[in-house]
Amino acid sequence: MVPFRLLLMIGGVLLVGSGVAHAATPEKDSEALAARIDRHLTAAWEVNKVQPAPPASDAEFLRRVYLDLAGRIPAVAEVRAFLDDTRSDKRRRLVEHLLEGPRYVTHFTNVWRALLLPESTNNVQTSFLAPGFESWLHGKLQQNAPYDAMVRELLTLPMDGPSRNAFGPANGTPTPIAFYLAKEVKPENVAAAVSRLFLGVKIECAQCHDHKFADWKREQFWSFAAFFAGLQRQGNGDFVNVGREVANRRELTIPGTEHKVQAVFLDGTQPNWKNNTNPRATLAEWMTRKDNPYFARAAVNRIWGYFFGSGIIDPVDEIAGGEHEASHPELLDELARQFAEHNFDLKYLIRAITASCAYQLSSLATHTSQDDPRLFARMPLRGLSAEQLFDSIAQATGYREEMNTNQRGFFGNTSARSRFITRFANASDRPTEVQTSILQALSMMNGQITAASTDLEHSETLTALLDAPFMDTAERVQTISLAVLSRKPTPRELSSLVGYVEKGGSAGDTSADKDKNYHRALADVFWVLLNSGEFFLNH
Amino acid sequence: MSRSSLSLSRREWLTLSAAGVVGYSMSGWLEHLAAAAAKSPERKRACVLLWMSGGPSQMDTFDLKPGHANGGPYKEIATSAPGIKISEHLPKLATHTKDMVLVRSMNTKEADHGRATYFLRTGRVPGGPIQYPPLGSFVSKELERPDAELPGFVSIAPFRFLNSAAFSPGFLGPRYAPLIVGENGNGRPQAAGGDVAQALRVQDIDLPGDVNAKRSEARLQMLDEMEQEFLAQRSSVAAESHRTAYRRAVTMMRSSAVKAFNLEEEPAKLRDAYGRSLFGQGCLLARRLIERGVPFVEVTLDGWDTHQQNFEQVKRLSSTLDPAWATLMNDLKDRGLLDTTLIVWMGEFGRTPRLNGNTGRDHWANGWSTVLCGGGIKGGQVVGRTSADGTTIEDRKVEVADLLGTVCLALGLDPRKQNQTDIGRPIRLVEPTAKPITEVVA
Repeated sequence: MVPFRLLLMIGGVLLVGSGVAHAATPEKDSEALAARIDRHLTAAWEVNKVQPAPPASDAEFLRRVYLDLAGRIPAVAEVRAFLDDTRSDKRRRLVEHLLEGPRYVTHFTNVWRALLLPESTNNVQTSFLAPGFESWLHGKLQQNAPYDAMVRELLTLPMDGPSRNAFGPANGTPTPIAFYLAKEVKPENVAAAVSRLFLGVKIECAQCHDHKFADWKREQFWSFAAFFAGLQRQGNGDFVNVGREVANRRELTIPGTEHKVQAVFLDGTQPNWKNNTNPRATLAEWMTRKDNPYFARAAVNRIWGYFFGSGIIDPVDEIAGGEHEASHPELLDELARQFAEHNFDLKYLIRAITASCAYQLSSLATHTSQDDPRLFARMPLRGLSAEQLFDSIAQATGYREEMNTNQRGFFGNTSARSRFITRFANASDRPTEVQTSILQALSMMNGQITAASTDLEHSETLTALLDAPFMDTAERVQTISLAVLSRKPTPRELSSLVGYVEKGGSAGDTSADKDKNYHRALADVFWVLLNSGEFFLNH
Repeated sequence: MSRSSLSLSRREWLTLSAAGVVGYSMSGWLEHLAAAAAKSPERKRACVLLWMSGGPSQMDTFDLKPGHANGGPYKEIATSAPGIKISEHLPKLATHTKDMVLVRSMNTKEADHGRATYFLRTGRVPGGPIQYPPLGSFVSKELERPDAELPGFVSIAPFRFLNSAAFSPGFLGPRYAPLIVGENGNGRPQAAGGDVAQALRVQDIDLPGDVNAKRSEARLQMLDEMEQEFLAQRSSVAAESHRTAYRRAVTMMRSSAVKAFNLEEEPAKLRDAYGRSLFGQGCLLARRLIERGVPFVEVTLDGWDTHQQNFEQVKRLSSTLDPAWATLMNDLKDRGLLDTTLIVWMGEFGRTPRLNGNTGRDHWANGWSTVLCGGGIKGGQVVGRTSADGTTIEDRKVEVADLLGTVCLALGLDPRKQNQTDIGRPIRLVEPTAKPITEVVA
């Protein structure tokens, strides 16, 4: 059975690696891990005769790391400052700056909410509860709570506290209760999500029958679900609430059978019930142990997938069961071990990944040997989340609404941001295969936000440009390029765009409307860059 | 393949806008085309889904129980199908019943709006990591023409509020997302009373006021140039899809087919016959889209959640439904399109046979009705039977997969056909457990 094999394998690595001493500072420490990432990847490149893509330029790196860590593109001033900075460690400094900034917390609140509570964008009840869930996440990220502690808190959430009446006066207070409610407080739904999200094991296919492709058996699924057997629902229909948990219940009957199963860990080991502890707490304790065969691996694989577009094992939620192989098994083990050793510190992991040469490769294809995405020899193009896209448009154009709140959600919210996010929501969990719809394209081309952004009366950025008398056309075009694409235009682009603007754009250089045509042509440049694939994607 | 297709289509656009000068004579040309297409064996089939959001009462529409305490005050009337009776408030549809199949034995278990909406529209119970595409997405993927100017799936006035995933293309991706019109931007249909024709136009299809065609063309040409360098060395699914969406959007903006959304082109008398409601005009729009080759159009009629004053509400809804649906069938028939256009009438569930304390009916998933008619259907039949009090199914339980499987067959599709998912596992159009109602498929 594969999980067992896996356990042996990881166990072995753990024994070998457990003597490693920690380096002096956290930053040095993550740099050491970055170096090891590169060693593993380089070894595979050599074996496969890969010529990796060239290193990303400063501008390319800057835009990427802003989108990945802050959830938006950088401001013009931030681009200029970074490009002009001559210090050799400026990339590392930038990462530190972003990790300590408020946008890191806001952005990763979105990232984790989309992951843990995907229902919040398409289910009335969950969207109603999303604010409480988000403030809980926000608090955890603000404190940089260790990942294991965060998951433990979610798993052991008391079902009799004030959060139980989630629709009452407590609505909106920080609590992860929405996670349970979105899963209808059903043991099998909660178990399936917990297993997939935190253990990287997609076992729910085994809910009704033994898994067709992987090694999971139906009995295993229900034995795992039995840890949540005490969960109780109140009410039915559209608004379900949690009921008081049946303490210490850890037995379930497989539906449609008479067969009762007891709670058993996924790897087949029996919990020790001596102290008669709460089954959920027992499960949480097992899951978040440093030597758990799945937990740290699933986490680092998922984080890796976030930064590289695909996991070391891909899909990221099928890391065990034998169906999918790791591209770099030793790297995955090493990352998992170091993550656990470093107290499940997410920022440590992020520092290491973003400092690696692999993360800092260009997205430019220079050789066909880079085409296999599993060798990570070039940064793939990745789609933006709706929030990343909206906040980037707002950043580029000075569109104001963004600053109000971090309001989000499908329901009861008709702000331009919320409508935009509804339209640009993307169900695909494969960022490298994100698709664009016709309505999205129409919205970007002709929609209210783009129109306001490229309109002289409404666009802050444009107005500022035109009010700057010391700038010539080339400088104005360059500033637009910095604002939208976070880079300077190439000489060819610059001459073509400047030519267009100076001849008055499509209207031509008629003397009567000279100024107006000039302004409009500049707005056209803005429009063109905002509608480019280069703006729309992370690269 | 040329990457500069945005500007390549400029010539096309000039030709088209030249044709637009004589735009009014085009309707005659289109009728010819439609008539020819209808006769051609190559003509692919199309589907109109009349989606009854909230769950329509079977007891007061297509499966009446007059004389029983559960029945209520409505009378049954005879129809053009011998022996089949329906509600007195659907008199126009009664003349079309010979072309309809009434399925009276839907057995669907889910009685929560959100879950049932997802279930009926995708054929799968919600939950789990796979987002399944709804009927409109997977049918249009099979039936759309690659060179089509309009998207293959148009959703008119949807009520997405209850479960927006049931209106999202799921693992098929935004390429198969519905083009939505008639929505207020918050997952609900446009409020009544406004300019219905305006509400049914495509959002953002028109250039902003200060951008004329020439300026737009200049922008697109510049965009095209800008993109080339970036894309040349970064080929990927995401970039290609972005490119394609723009190409399709621009094609649609410039197409004559987008005139389908100009309902003002239709004679006032015909518009009146459909009814001037959002739903009525939506059905008219559906015909105009089907005529132009759109393979899947759905029109939502919302308000069937009749927990209170069921009879008043259903009567009002029937007065909207009856003329719209009946005129749609007439209109399609007149144009030779009914034989190739399947019409499906359904909601997420039915309503309790027993009345509640507010003369209302509650959610009911055990023995309720759906209707199939038009192309691919042998009309004038009833499938299944409920008991005299309406509470149990006495004959031929029809599950969701059975119904969707039947829809596939009527459209000439194999329900067992597989799609690749984004998690790399093949998924059939309809669950393989489906037992389609083959006796009603023509």
